Amino acid sequence: MWAIARTELKKTVQDKGLWFWTFVLPIVFIVAFVAIFSGDESTSYKEVVTQIIPGYTIMFAFFIMISMVIVFVKDRERGMVARIASTPLSIHQYFFGKWLPFMIVVLVQITVLFGFGVVVYDLPLGDPFALILLSLALAFIVTGWGMAMAVIVRTENMGIAMTQILALGGALLGGLWMPVEFMPEVVQNISKALPQYWALQGYKEIILSGGGVGDIWFHLVFLIVAGVAGGVLALVSYPRFLRQSRS
Amino acid sequence: MIKVENISKHYGTLQALDNISFTINEGTCFGLVGPNGAGKSTLMKILSGILLNFDGDIHVRDWQVSKDRLKIKQQIGYIPQEICLEDTLTARDNLILFGNLYGLKGKELQHRMDEVLDQIGLTDRVKDKVVTFSGGMKRRLNIGCALLHKPGIVIMDEPTVGIDPQSRNSIFSIIHQLKAEGSTIIYSSHYMEEVEQLCDSIGLIDKGQLMEFGRMEELLEKYAKPSLFIAGEGIELGMLQSFGEAEAKGNGYLLNSEEPLLTLEKLVAHCREHRLEPRRLELYHPRLEDIFFNLTGTQLRDA
Repeated sequence: MWAIARTELKKTVQDKGLWFWTFVLPIVFIVAFVAIFSGDESTSYKEVVTQIIPGYTIMFAFFIMISMVIVFVKDRERGMVARIASTPLSIHQYFFGKWLPFMIVVLVQITVLFGFGVVVYDLPLGDPFALILLSLALAFIVTGWGMAMAVIVRTENMGIAMTQILALGGALLGGLWMPVEFMPEVVQNISKALPQYWALQGYKEIILSGGGVGDIWFHLVFLIVAGVAGGVLALVSYPRFLRQSRS
Repeated sequence: MIKVENISKHYGTLQALDNISFTINEGTCFGLVGPNGAGKSTLMKILSGILLNFDGDIHVRDWQVSKDRLKIKQQIGYIPQEICLEDTLTARDNLILFGNLYGLKGKELQHRMDEVLDQIGLTDRVKDKVVTFSGGMKRRLNIGCALLHKPGIVIMDEPTVGIDPQSRNSIFSIIHQLKAEGSTIIYSSHYMEEVEQLCDSIGLIDKGQLMEFGRMEELLEKYAKPSLFIAGEGIELGMLQSFGEAEAKGNGYLLNSEEPLLTLEKLVAHCREHRLEPRRLELYHPRLEDIFFNLTGTQLRDA
């Protein structure tokens, strides 16, 4: 299990594409959108950075699913999945070893983007314990869904397309680009079924309203349950994934 | 001893394996031969513990695959047809990965890595990334990763596909070394001459069924009769049939005979008498390919 995790982490660190999606592009988006919206006199500067920095952090956290899809599909196509299945490693250990490095990457991503917000835009952080728990839950759901997607999709392109639908569609409907209050009632209802919405509302609760763990417990439960569902789906789909693997 | 009992496997309505049974003795090399789609890969996947959902059972030593899967997997070194290596990492990283997966750590792992690197001839390239390796070097490292934990059973699925003769010879010497050390080897290949050269016993598989199983010499004795090959101007099937059972083969004819040397003498005398000039006239040694043809009516490469 740790051998798989170490190997995956080494490969991840060498992946320049991942660095671009995870750190460079989100920072460019944050800088651009804060510059655009901070000129709006009807919204306070604090509201702008509290909407944009967590919003884009959540949106780009979902893009880790692309890297997960690429890794899993490549492993399947070059027979690595079958090769590892021939070793004494259990399915649970295999998934844990594959999942952990991506969880770490997303947590580092959240830390870097929020850190950027604090240093450059004076972003307030609120209760650190609640912030850490919510970030863990966010990392858990994006990597859980990433594993499910990676095991289910037939091709890399299909996985990338579906990730973009989930990340961008979820960002739009979940209120990451603009507050859901500005959207029609039907969209507001849809957004309540999306993890992006609960993650953003959780961050806003902590940063803007000074909320603690007690105020975001439902947000945490929603994200963790959705993440567990992704993990279970990945486990259930594994036999088919293994059958499709070359050997 | 590996005892395969009544193995069947379906993919939907397709029956990939149909009630296959055989026994492989410890310390021998068993060759699995058959055309594409015969069920070889499915059987190799079952033997190596990758495919779990099948009918029948496999016994390895005192263990039963349905009950002692992990113990059996620890005894197996699986060398897949695909090169399963992390290209962007070094040879060392790859060996550490597979060593760890089989529970090797620390000094024990280092010691085994040194031995295996020496065995596969890659000691001087251990710190290089796999992406810089030739196809043959990758194949050898692929083998090395499966040998780190000193498996008693080595399963090799087409290990010489797409490599240069030098690397093929190197792989053959690894196999001979494994045989000398007493490992049991299960070897699948399209190259009949490889199987003939390396294996003690073979299983011929076609359309999911085990057509024949046994020691190489026994099968050659049973199915492939000694014969003569003759080709040349004026040599015709009708004339040859007076000497025995004859058939067209390539650009000449194959003449089956229980006593090929005697028939050869008669044939030479006949050619002299009728002023026939054979371009080729030779004793034909039966091959594995002939056994397959006798059993299925098709050549392996046409099937």
